[in-house]
Amino acid sequence: MAEIKNYTLNFGPQHPSAHGVLRLVLELDGEVVERADPHIGLLHRGTEKLFEYKTYQQNIPYFDRFDYVSMMANEHAYALAVEKLLGIEAPERAQYIRVMFAELTRVLNHCLWLGACALDIGAMTVFLYCFREREDIFDYYEAVSGARMHAAYFRPGGVTKDLPDGLLDRIQGFTERFPGYIDEYETLLTENRIWKQRNVDIGVVDKEAALAWGFTGPMLRGSGVAWDLRKTQPYDVYDKMEFDIPVGATGDCYDRYLVRIEEMRQSNEIIRQCIEWLAVNPGPVKIDDYKLTNPPRDLMKDDMESLIHHFKFFSEGYPVPEGEVYAAVEHPKGEFGVYVMSDGSNKPYRMKVRASGFAHLEAIDYMCRGHMLADVVTILGTQDIVFGEVDR
Amino acid sequence: MGIEGLLDKGFVTTTVDKAINWARAGSVWPMTFGLACCAVEFMHAGASRYDMDRFGIVPRPSPRQSDLMIVAGTLCNKMAPALRKVYDQMAEPRWVISMGSCANGGGYYHYSYPVVRGCDRIVPIDVYVPGCPPTAEALLYGFIQLQEKIKRTNTIAR
Amino acid sequence: MIREDATALKERFGDQVLAVVAGIDCPEVTVAREAIVDVCHYLKSEQGFDQMIDLCGVDMSEHPSHGDGDARLLVVYNLLSVEHNKRIRLKVAAGERDLVDSVVEVWPTANWFEREAFDMCGIIFNNHPDLRRLLTDYGFEGYPLRKDFPLTGRVEVFFDETQWRCVYRPNKVENRVLIPKVWPGVDRG
Repeated sequence: MAEIKNYTLNFGPQHPSAHGVLRLVLELDGEVVERADPHIGLLHRGTEKLFEYKTYQQNIPYFDRFDYVSMMANEHAYALAVEKLLGIEAPERAQYIRVMFAELTRVLNHCLWLGACALDIGAMTVFLYCFREREDIFDYYEAVSGARMHAAYFRPGGVTKDLPDGLLDRIQGFTERFPGYIDEYETLLTENRIWKQRNVDIGVVDKEAALAWGFTGPMLRGSGVAWDLRKTQPYDVYDKMEFDIPVGATGDCYDRYLVRIEEMRQSNEIIRQCIEWLAVNPGPVKIDDYKLTNPPRDLMKDDMESLIHHFKFFSEGYPVPEGEVYAAVEHPKGEFGVYVMSDGSNKPYRMKVRASGFAHLEAIDYMCRGHMLADVVTILGTQDIVFGEVDR
Repeated sequence: MGIEGLLDKGFVTTTVDKAINWARAGSVWPMTFGLACCAVEFMHAGASRYDMDRFGIVPRPSPRQSDLMIVAGTLCNKMAPALRKVYDQMAEPRWVISMGSCANGGGYYHYSYPVVRGCDRIVPIDVYVPGCPPTAEALLYGFIQLQEKIKRTNTIAR
Repeated sequence: MIREDATALKERFGDQVLAVVAGIDCPEVTVAREAIVDVCHYLKSEQGFDQMIDLCGVDMSEHPSHGDGDARLLVVYNLLSVEHNKRIRLKVAAGERDLVDSVVEVWPTANWFEREAFDMCGIIFNNHPDLRRLLTDYGFEGYPLRKDFPLTGRVEVFFDETQWRCVYRPNKVENRVLIPKVWPGVDRG
């Protein structure tokens, strides 16, 4: 009798569909996956250790680099956490700007998700279409912060600067074009036989399993759990926004695709509501306290006290009262949370970042069992993994 | 003589080196070695606004079929042997572009324990593209610099 | 609503619940190390905390509240109840050689979180199905997030031309501190 062993295959770390650096060791019985063991840590940059050696202000740009396809959403969680510890609140205009950019970031993320996932499955045109939208949003990032990708725009206390003139009109134009573009993507994919065959009934996760495995965001909503932090634990001005959250029925990859497409449409709605408010309501975008934000430059050059505040703020930073807090946002991928433990000094004692991709990738063994090798790529795509946040 | 020779006499003369360099520089095929955030800007350089394809740059998934490796992102200690292995799998002539400050010299994570302080500790680099991340335009500038460098190399002449 | 969970916990577990604090955002309950799995089972089944959002390890040795005899390491569990829309934080103190029972049987997602806490802080979990390094390099020595581990690490990777492979050499880079860690109101004279 011949001896039959499983075939162990190393998928990655350099692989066009591995979504970054993932080393997935697959045990295959022919084409069917028996076990999947992800090896992560190939992008582990030691950010949590670096946090302890930098002041709270200096830590802000690290957050852009966690989930590097949706930058401002990560900063949002950090800004909320530090604001909770300090006991301050950002002014209302800053909150509206933050919500608008958080939703623009959601569109940014879902566009890249759709482009990359479709590219992995074989639909190459969608990639170019989605990146056209991303380029427009990168232009808005650049207009408001100076950098196309890593903006460091959301700060504890508000945002760095107010929107430049004309930006609201440009974003308004974007919101008018965007639903047409989503219709284009849907025409290409939603009723497509091949897309359906590759996605329907792949990676099915039921409600209890989704909750037990720590799924959040579209992964959880695709499985039928109506949970969205923007509605259940609202932060900033989400309680004033009118939008719906899409919830899937079966928990397969196709449902998650539909959930994300609909989320893009809802984000468009939220952006439109924010633009309406921002156009008629001027105001401050940072809190007034110059111990916690930097004073405006013209004031710094005239007034002695502002100069001292500027100097102390940028050199030493601000001390944060002792305590700990966990703040989470409804990141495009799920729940992105920051657990900050402060010891009363100007540098954090411990900061732990809870990334949604970490819990999702953990469940890849559970999701891939019994599926074929090509389905592993689909499942990896539907989980929307970005290694900056998984490995930190 | 150049293009006027073609119109006058019906032929051009050049050196073999120049012809080889023209062929090599005009169709550099990079390998997709995106590690972190710079990979997203690399994808943007390939998208429709900053089209890489018009320079002859077609990303290939396999190292055996590519001339160029773009190290885009932070190189960590765990990934370094894989990087070297992939570099060794590329056939000569091969070039490497180090994209972004993390690949150039450790960058934002220079003082961190699991980070290789510059991918030039592992592979030899031809062009360094600075930025965090370098804009897609800056990466295209880096490609053009590499093309200039290729045009300066000698294959036949000493 | 918030006090309900904490008082219910205290009634059920008595002196295994060491402290209850109403934190800034959610109640924080310090639990004895031996009872953590029972507490988690209770919270999941009776109180409806169906999701474990985060599990992290902290090295408390340089914290101002750390006394000389206190346990060095702390495991922090952040739980979420989707059913009732509430959060709670559990804390378990452990020494360097103490075993903390694994909660993988309660929430399977704890697997990787506990592996990471082991990798970063050296907290060893009992009954964990697969406790090995997750984020750090293969063959890495040390626990990076402990306060005595240097930021720049102990080794650096180079490519050796003679051996034709990647080698580890002792680290020569030191962290530069441009801004010191200061507490407000402390005399800096």
